[in-house]
Order: sequence, then structure tokens, then C-alpha cells
Amino acid sequence: MEIKIRNLSKNFYSEGKRIEAVDNVNLTIPTNKIFSLLGPSGCGKTTLLRCIIGLEVPDSGEIEVGDEIVWSKDRGIFILPDKRGVSMVFQTYAIWPHMTVFGNVAYPLQISKVPKEEIKRRVERTLEFVRLEGFEDRAATELSGGQQQRVALARALISEPKAILFDEPLSNLDAKLREDTRKELRSFLTKLKITAVYVTHDRLEALTLSDVIAVMRDGAIVEVGAPKKLYFGSEQRFVADFIGRANLIKGKVVGFKGRRTLIDSPIGIIACERKVGIPEGRKVTVCIRPESFEVLEGEEGRNLNTFKGKVESLLFVGESNEGEVSVGETRLIVRFNPAAILKESDEIKLYIDPKRCHILLR
Amino acid sequence: MKGGSVPRIKPPLVPSFIVIVGFLTVCPVIMLLFGSFSEGLGAFGTFTLEKYIKSYSDPALAGILVNTAFFTVGSAAVATSLAIFLAYLNTRTNIPLKRSLRVMPIVPMMIPHILFAVSWALLLNPSNGIINLVLKGALNLKVSLFNIYTLPGMILVEGLLDLPIAYLIISPAMSSFDASLEESSRVSGASNLETLRKVTLPILRPAILSSFSLVIVRSLAAFAVPSMIGMPGRIYVLATHIYRIIAIGFAVDYGMAAAVGLSALVTSIALIYVYRRLTAKSEKYVTISGRGYRPALINLRKSKYPLCAVVCLFSFALIALPVLVLFYTSLLPYSMIPSWKAVSMMSWDNWTTVLKDPISLMSLRNSIFLGIGGATLGILLSIFVSYIIVRIRTRGSGLLESLVFLSFSFPGIVIGVGFMWFFVRTPLYATIWALLIGYIATYLPYGVRPLTSAFIQIHNELEESSRVCGAGILYTLRRIVIPLLAPGIVSGWILMATMFVRELSLSVVLSRPGTEVLAVQILKFAEDGLWGKLSALGIVMILISTTLVVLATAVGSKMSKMKKSS
Repeated sequence: MEIKIRNLSKNFYSEGKRIEAVDNVNLTIPTNKIFSLLGPSGCGKTTLLRCIIGLEVPDSGEIEVGDEIVWSKDRGIFILPDKRGVSMVFQTYAIWPHMTVFGNVAYPLQISKVPKEEIKRRVERTLEFVRLEGFEDRAATELSGGQQQRVALARALISEPKAILFDEPLSNLDAKLREDTRKELRSFLTKLKITAVYVTHDRLEALTLSDVIAVMRDGAIVEVGAPKKLYFGSEQRFVADFIGRANLIKGKVVGFKGRRTLIDSPIGIIACERKVGIPEGRKVTVCIRPESFEVLEGEEGRNLNTFKGKVESLLFVGESNEGEVSVGETRLIVRFNPAAILKESDEIKLYIDPKRCHILLR
Repeated sequence: MKGGSVPRIKPPLVPSFIVIVGFLTVCPVIMLLFGSFSEGLGAFGTFTLEKYIKSYSDPALAGILVNTAFFTVGSAAVATSLAIFLAYLNTRTNIPLKRSLRVMPIVPMMIPHILFAVSWALLLNPSNGIINLVLKGALNLKVSLFNIYTLPGMILVEGLLDLPIAYLIISPAMSSFDASLEESSRVSGASNLETLRKVTLPILRPAILSSFSLVIVRSLAAFAVPSMIGMPGRIYVLATHIYRIIAIGFAVDYGMAAAVGLSALVTSIALIYVYRRLTAKSEKYVTISGRGYRPALINLRKSKYPLCAVVCLFSFALIALPVLVLFYTSLLPYSMIPSWKAVSMMSWDNWTTVLKDPISLMSLRNSIFLGIGGATLGILLSIFVSYIIVRIRTRGSGLLESLVFLSFSFPGIVIGVGFMWFFVRTPLYATIWALLIGYIATYLPYGVRPLTSAFIQIHNELEESSRVCGAGILYTLRRIVIPLLAPGIVSGWILMATMFVRELSLSVVLSRPGTEVLAVQILKFAEDGLWGKLSALGIVMILISTTLVVLATAVGSKMSKMKKSS
């Protein structure tokens, strides 16, 4: 089921100042996909989520869930949160500490006066789905963080919603658990075939979990796309920088050569994958990911994109060595093969495949 | 709902509660003000300054004000320094018996102030105080060694009575204190005592100051000690001065009482304002965080057991001694030294007379009704008020918070005079409902405060997730909020109920024939010198308070069990 957001705005007033939390957002969230809203804290992603479910009342615009308009300023429609067919997993999980696991999960059904027998059956089935079978009588507070998270998911799923919203649901877990839970969540959601909207500020979470990512900044959507497309092919400086570690080098288009666009930059001429419609003389930024560099041995050389530099620092980060290499005045972040024998102040030669140099226009 | 209009987010809830609380808190103040400028209780008459001139030109007033200043500041000093001493021992050192010593400073809250004051008068009065009699016999003295009916005597007893308030402010500050601040001082070569003086106490200054100002407010409002200990020694403070104006002799003058009372009220409000400024930063929105550190405990070494003995002895004097003295006195026809002769004269006579006395029985009924009914109504009001203060954060809720805080500063007897001007004009005059309204108005903060802190600790998302599940506001309140609030509700109810059962300073003004309450009846026994009957009724009063506490705790734990099964 699709969620459509049209011209949605929401302002807050704090100490006399107006804050545009959501600023004229237009967005279509595709059916049965995992859709992430990614952005730095304070960018309005949680407010947008809360507008979708109805915990915040927007100032203007329209929200459509499935074929039903759930909020429209102009038409005066406001459908209560529970009537929108959408459920939500909160950042703190909001597991009620005074109830058992069963009490928590059964709650939405108890409200809609489902017969007791059916409640029992459905709770059992849902708990089995989130792999918490047999936990019915446990006090909710006796569970681990990951288990609480699954109880929250079960509670959100029990009323068989058309879409499910997640507000940074993994931010309360420690690193190792977060990784496991992320995988688990991905497999749950894939099995369910449900529209999921996932708010996070963690780029890794968004990249690994989502089918589609919308990057937000200052209340507005900056770019929407598949994880790979945003990571490798974003046209915007903010997105490229936010979604992964990047070297952003400013330069100017000086010519074209075959399928390459040549950029004059402080580290020299960079040959990039050609982009159509960029005139000569235009100022651009080149984005190179740390893992795109190749270290050339001995006298080996290529006619393109070979830069001499000096290793300024090296950091062993486990799966690789990360270092800073100075090329002229510019410092580049480079990821080395951990097996490479390198030490600080070594002079090295770096090569970058033109396909991995991306031109950012904005 | 489709096509329906946008729901109103701000229901008329907030304004209606502002009206209720505003009536409770502002009405007596305004009536007091009007009253002070008018001719008499029956009719406001023309505007007159006569009462001000008459009351403030009274030559005795200067002495009364000096007494009041010494009494309040002295009590604050006694209560605060004792609280610092006990809180330090209990939270920062390895003193033995910690578990029981921790509750000890709070227990005096359970003993009605008037009985506490009476018991010390029975022990230390110059003519037949038990301790004085014993010492006279033992040391062969002609005169009594101690006289409680003095200003130092009043300060000491009031200081002990206000110890719980001071302790409840200082002890949390002491235990949430970052121990590394002290450790770094000790590493620099300072001794424990030096560290305490140079690091610990200065950092605790806001807590100490707020305890100080709050105790001054409480002792300014106090009536039990000034009437039981001050009046027999002819030492008058503002509260007893007002009492004399309205209750003693034939020429009662509510206008003069109002004129005098206003200055007490203004002082009180100013102090509460200071207190609020002091605590606004430190107390607001402190939620329980999971990451608690345990401050390092200071090893007392050899002084461990002597200090513990001192504290235990102190606890005995604070808690057990008053009750024992009252019980002992209740069994005797007149004051005498504990001896075989005394034992042989013991009987239940006082108890049977009191329990047959219709006025005592009526006061018993009234106090129980006010305790249970008043606390229940009061806590209901507090739930809504604190919900508005914490959750619906609009300008209106800020006003509501200020109104509630206003009544925190009310000296009972003064506010009673204000209410008197109001009730005289309504059919509520001389009914139990007048007392009920007055009690709730004066003690509302004691219900609101535990509830607001409980509300703050319930994360917003716990409620929101219930709304998302389809629950309405009332359903959410019933299934989620109230069960989670249960501990706060129970402690607020206990606080209110015990305060209502023993209430004296407001009742002294508002209670009329037919609406006697326990504390007022005890005051009457004291004025007539009927110590035996007084003690019997006093023990009954303590029993009622204790029963209410036990019952409320039982209900509270049942509530928390019930919610597990749902």
C-alpha cells in the first residue's frame, strides 16, 4: 500500500521563533518496500513520521494512505491515528512496564473488543513470528533490549496494519546487537510484504536495511533513491557526504575525452565518468569514496588519474587500514588493503578508476 | 471519522482546572485582602484602614515579630543542620543499620505535630515535666532543670518537626552527588572533614538554601508548637498572635487578623518564590537514568559505632519517646514519675471517658471523613492538575503550576482567616465542606508534587503508543497512565490523608461547633489541662494515621499486582 504526501508542512514555535520542522514535502512511499527517511538529527524526519501516523497535526498539505486521504488541510479531513491502518514502533519501544508480554501485544485487540479466544490465538501467532514463543507471561521489563524491540514489533503487527512506521528503533541497542537486530528486522519485513517507513540518522542502517532511501535536510527531502544509487551516483554534495565517507574535491570542467569528463582540481586533472549536459567551465565537486583508491606498486603507471602522495597517518580499523594521504595541499582519506605494507610518511602512488569518480552538481 | 473536522487538541480541560485551582488558591487571598480593609466579618462595609492602624500600632507587635524571626530562622537552622548530619551519615558513610536509619528522619511526619509538641511539654515542663521530676529527685534539686516553655525550647521542637522536610530535600542532593569531586579533593591531601567543609557543603549550597527557606515557610505557618509550647510561656509569634485575635476573649476581630496575616502571607510567598528559583534548575525534569553510579563510601573506622549509637538514641527521642510518653500519660490520672506507685494507679479511665465523650467522637468521625474523603478528592484533582502541568505544556498549564505553588506558601491560620471571610457569605459556613475545601486548597501541592514527578518519569511514547493502538484518552488513562502512576498516587494520598487527619492550623479557624476535628479537640483538652484525655485521643489519632498508611500501601501493592495479570 502506497503512502502519498503532498505539500506537507509543519512548524513549531519555540521561544517566539518559528521552526520549519517539515517544509513543503512531497513524497511517495512505494508499496511493500522498506523506505528509510535518513537525515541528521533535527532534520524533521521524526516529525514527518508522526504526521503520517497522526500524532502531529500538520499545518498544511495532504497525506494519503492507500486510497484513503487521512489528512487534508483544505478538505478538513483528520483521521485518528488508529483508524489509518498504520502502526508504529517507537524509539523507546514504549513497552508498558506494568504489563506482561501478552498484555502488551494483546492491547490493540482488547481495545477493538476482539473475542478472547481469538486474541489468544493471534498473540501466539504473532509472538511466534517474532520468535518470542513462550514469552507470554514474562514481565515486559524482564526482557533484553532486543527482545523488547521484538515485543514492540509484535504489538505493531498484531492489528495487521497496511503499513508500519519505525522511529529509530535500533538506537537504544548496543553495536553488536544492533547489527543482529537489523538483519532480523530486514528478514521479518521481507517475509511480511508490508510497507515500512523507517526513520534513522545512521547511514549504515539505512543502506543495509532499505529498498529506497529519502535523504532529508532542514525539513525538506533532498534526494530519493535506491541505496546504491545514492551511494555511488548522487548528484548532491550533502547526500554524498552524509551517506558515506567521501573525499569531496572542488574543481572545474576543462574538457572531454571519450567517455570521460576532465576536471581540473587542486590534486591535478581528474578524469571522471562522463555526465551528459555539463558545459566546459562549470564549477563542480568530485566525490571519491575512500575505498575507490588503488595503490600502484613500483614504476607501474597509468595514463589517467594517477596521483603521487605522502602517507600522513594510518589507522588500523579492523577490516582495513585507513589513512590520510596528502596530494599537494589536499588531504585525502584512503582505505588501504590491511595486508599492504605501509608506514607513515611513505611516498605512494594512487590510482582511481574514472568510473568511481562522481561529479556532483549541487 | 472520514470527512470529520480536525479535532480540538486543547479541550476545555485546561481552563476549567485553572478556574477550580484558581478559586481554591486565589479566593482566600483576595478575601483576606478585602477583609483587612473592611469593618467586620459580617459586612464588608466601607473601605477602612482602621484595622491596619490598630494592628500595626500595637506595641506588642515588635516583640512578636522578633520572636517570629528567631523562631523561624532558628528552626530552619536546627532542621537543616540535623538533616545534613543525618543525610551525610546515611548516604556517604559506612554507618551500620543504614536501612533503618534511612527511614528514621522521615518518620516524624507520621506523628501529628500537636502531639509531638505536647509530649515534649509533658517531659520538660518546669512544674511537673517527667524528666524534670526525675532529675529533681535524683539530684536533690529545688528547681526544675529544664524549661521547655522558652524560645529555645520552641526552636528545638519545631526544628525536630521540620527535620523530614529538610531531609527530603538534602538527602537526594547528597546521594546524587558526584563522588569524584570529593575524591579529587582527598587525593589532593585534604582530610575527610576538610573535604566536607571545602567541597561537599559548597556544592550542596542550593539544596541547603532551599531546605532553609522551606523550613522557614513551614515554621512561619506552624501553629502546634507556638500554641502548645509558646503560649504557656507567654512567647507569642505571628500565628499565635492571630489566634489570640480571633479566638480568645469576646472582642474577636477578623479584620485585624487579616491585616496581620497579610504580612505573614507576603513573607511566605516571597520565601517560596526564592525556594522555587533555587530549585527550578536542579529539580526540573530530572528523570531516573539507568546509569547510576554509587558514590564511594567513607570509612568511619572507630567512630562508626559511637556515631550509630548517637543516631539511634536520637531516633528514640524523635519517634519512640513521644508515643511512649503519651501512652504513659493516658493511663494516669495526673502527672507523676514512673514508679510502682504510678503503675498501681494506671487504668483505662481516660480512654473510656474520651471514647464516650460525644464531642471527641464527633471530632474522630469528622477527621476520618476529612482524611479519607479529602485525600481522595484532593488526589483526583492532583492527577488532572499534574497531567496538565507535565503533558499539556501551554501557557495555561504554566499558570496552573504557579497557582498550585502559591498554596505551598499558605500559612494555615492566615488562609483560614481568608476562607472565613468567604464562607461566611455562603451556606458552607460551619459545615464540614468548608474544612474540606480549605484543606484541599492548602495542601494541594503535597498531592501535585509526587504526581508531577511520577508523570515526568513516564515517557510520552508510552501514552502515544496506546493512542496509536486505538485507545482513547480515558482508556489510556485507565489502562496505562493510572497503573504506572500508582506509586505516586499512593504516596500522594498517604501524604494528604495523614496531613488532613492531624490538620490543626486551618481547622483552628474554620472549625465550629459540630465540625470539630481531632487536632482542635486536642488543643481544647490542652487548654483545659486534661493531659490524660488528650493523650488517649492523641494515641487514637496516631493509630488512625498509621492504619491509613498501612491500608493505602496494601491497596497500592494490590494495584501493582492487578496490573501484572491484565
